[in-house]
Amino acid sequence: MPVAFLIPGALRSFAGGQRQVVIEATPATVADALAELWTRHPGIRDRVATEQGQIREHINVFVGNENIRDTGGLQTPVEDGAEISIIPAISGGLTKEDYSPRLPASIIEK
Amino acid sequence: MIDRVLGRYVIVSKLGEGGMGAVYRARDQVLQRDVALKFLAQGLAQDAQRLLLAEARAASALSHPNICTVHEVGEVDGEFYIVMELIDGKPLSALIGSGLAYQAIMRYGAQIAGALAHAHGRNVIHRDLKSANVIVTPEGLAKVLDFGLARRLAGLGKDEVTRTLEHLESHGSLSGTLSYMPPEVLCGQPGDHRGDLWALGVMLYEAAAGHLPFRGQTVFELSDAILHGAPPPLPARIPPGLASVIQRCLAKEPAQRYQRAGELQAALEAVQSAVFTPAPAGEPHGLRTTVHRGIKHLQVRDGDTLLLVGTMKGVFLLRSQSRERWDVAGPYFHGQAAYAMAYDGRAGRHRLWASNVGVWGAFLRCSDDYGRTWTNPPDAPIRFPAESGATLKNIWQVCPGRTSEPEVMYCGVEPAALYESRDDGETWSLVRGLFDHPHRPRWAPGAGGLTLHTILLDPQNSERMYVAISAGGVYATEDGGRTWQARNRGVRVVHTPEKYPEFGQCVHKIAMHPARPERLFLQNHWGLYRSDNCGECWQDIANGVPSDFGFAMAMHPHNPDCVYIVPIESDEFRCAPEGSLRVYRTRNAGESWEALARGLPQKGAYETVLRDALTVDSLSPAGVYLGTRSGQLFGSADEGKTWKKLLDGLPPIVCVKAAVVGARPASRPPRTARRSSPPKKNKAPRKR
Repeated sequence: MPVAFLIPGALRSFAGGQRQVVIEATPATVADALAELWTRHPGIRDRVATEQGQIREHINVFVGNENIRDTGGLQTPVEDGAEISIIPAISGGLTKEDYSPRLPASIIEK
Repeated sequence: MIDRVLGRYVIVSKLGEGGMGAVYRARDQVLQRDVALKFLAQGLAQDAQRLLLAEARAASALSHPNICTVHEVGEVDGEFYIVMELIDGKPLSALIGSGLAYQAIMRYGAQIAGALAHAHGRNVIHRDLKSANVIVTPEGLAKVLDFGLARRLAGLGKDEVTRTLEHLESHGSLSGTLSYMPPEVLCGQPGDHRGDLWALGVMLYEAAAGHLPFRGQTVFELSDAILHGAPPPLPARIPPGLASVIQRCLAKEPAQRYQRAGELQAALEAVQSAVFTPAPAGEPHGLRTTVHRGIKHLQVRDGDTLLLVGTMKGVFLLRSQSRERWDVAGPYFHGQAAYAMAYDGRAGRHRLWASNVGVWGAFLRCSDDYGRTWTNPPDAPIRFPAESGATLKNIWQVCPGRTSEPEVMYCGVEPAALYESRDDGETWSLVRGLFDHPHRPRWAPGAGGLTLHTILLDPQNSERMYVAISAGGVYATEDGGRTWQARNRGVRVVHTPEKYPEFGQCVHKIAMHPARPERLFLQNHWGLYRSDNCGECWQDIANGVPSDFGFAMAMHPHNPDCVYIVPIESDEFRCAPEGSLRVYRTRNAGESWEALARGLPQKGAYETVLRDALTVDSLSPAGVYLGTRSGQLFGSADEGKTWKKLLDGLPPIVCVKAAVVGARPASRPPRTARRSSPPKKNKAPRKR
């Protein structure tokens, strides 16, 4: 069973415009799943993680409804069929499109 | 020779024959392991032998995953041998074929550069680096052999070099060693660690092209090519970032190369991540671009004045023909702060640079069409090396290089570090000389973080550069970035018991006029100073200002005696004194200051002008511009005499830069440029 990433509006341009990226692999941990994600969509890596490989301070990664900061970080196990969300923290970073998908995009990436 | 016993070693089989002598597989009977055993060439003079042994012993102190370990140096009956780690793998020379994949070149290149950095740091120079001297293991590790075994050539004079060359030619090993020899060594100079960087450049070129960069049928032809020839262009499959790294290694003049192996390693690591995806053809910089729609962009013509306004929530661009009426476009980079902006008009460009920082990290982006499209690199090209443990927080300054070097760019970042690009900002390398400075661990962050926020280039001396760090103080290099010295004598510190330390000053801004590069002005976290000797010592010039606290400082474009500042009441109350926003100007290099307030708000204006939010254009009379933390933008078209509000209601302004489109980037001072002499004293410790 694959796992699915939910991509926030600000990063969709790096995922071919997709809201959801399905990884046809069986990653054991969040780290494995992320590595698969950025092999497919390299621009996402440096926006979600620092050059030292840590998830950025104001970005949260959830497996299902659990923030991985509470469940073992990047080593959090990933079950088959899991849904992994990348969501900016309350400090800012969500676009209007994240809030209301019906609003037209004012900034479109090519 | 087989079955011969040397001490604890029994020779098992012959592995090969090198320029230095034969190499055997031997069994270490004590440790029960196989080793490589190499006999040193016979017939060397005793002095040369002793030198060789000393070097081999030094090399035996090296311990690095990419260096073949030397276990022992021994002697039996006047025959010298070296016992080394036995490496399972193939020489790089055998793998190259018609050229390696660029990913492999970068990977091996970075490993070899790391090995050189380790050795050079211990005063061991290879001097005979070549693709036959690097073994690649099945695990993908590049291992450098024979460190320190080629010292012989170092002490030779010109005649001896010629003899050596004849020897090489007569022995048919011409393509072996001479092809990798740096020009300075060919000219008979002793050469230094930068010769190894040349040799690595030759290897990288060879791996990329499938053939050597410099070729010839005879020693004369080959030497001529090395000394004077340009290598043929690399194949198109090699990413431009890698090509420019190789090109820099192959600069004929050692001073033009990377100065340290660590820098080369960082550059190779940076291109490794920068070329994650091959660039689609036809895009500026080969990077992905962002198109901003729903914004009315500027229509810019030659001669227009441009204002680049960086705010906490995006970038705004303004243009004007007369500096009376301004068109406005933006916000670009919705929601992202832009602390650094620059206009690059060198070599016929009209390029805008902006840094972006937000929850998604810090990126540098540029536009060649006044904001319609911006580069958007998939991978962050400015990144700290893994071993530093540091992460990029923000980019505080973007600084195009000198007019004479239109491909060079500099960046000042947080945590405090200087980055340099030699390829138009496509790939960046950490300036190691400053990053490895022994003072760095003791630099302390100010309220805005530990930042390198100002970069000044001496236009007359390409080796000299100044940077300002909060809170580290002013640092200068006189050798193009290799070594840096603290230049803070006379600048007072209020936040430590020691009032005049060597470094640790919280400098907010420094300014220099291109016609007087030896003279600097400094706005400190309390204190206003001038130095007449390249920052060697500073004198107080706070004569008649309401406060010597402030952030911003800007140099007049044509008058080297004229400087603008915006005083702030105090460290505690960071607002315009008495609620009246005034710019102060000196026209006599700080002997006296006058208030410029006409048109600026004078009542209840508790404004703050941050360090990069005051600037000048290059016209005459000069335009002066400032942006406030409350989002107001003011401009003066008459050198500051009268001011007009150009915009308000913007997000907090952190950066304002001005440029005249199509104008030459540096001002043409009316005075005759004077060449300054380097400062006499140099007390700060130098770092290799």
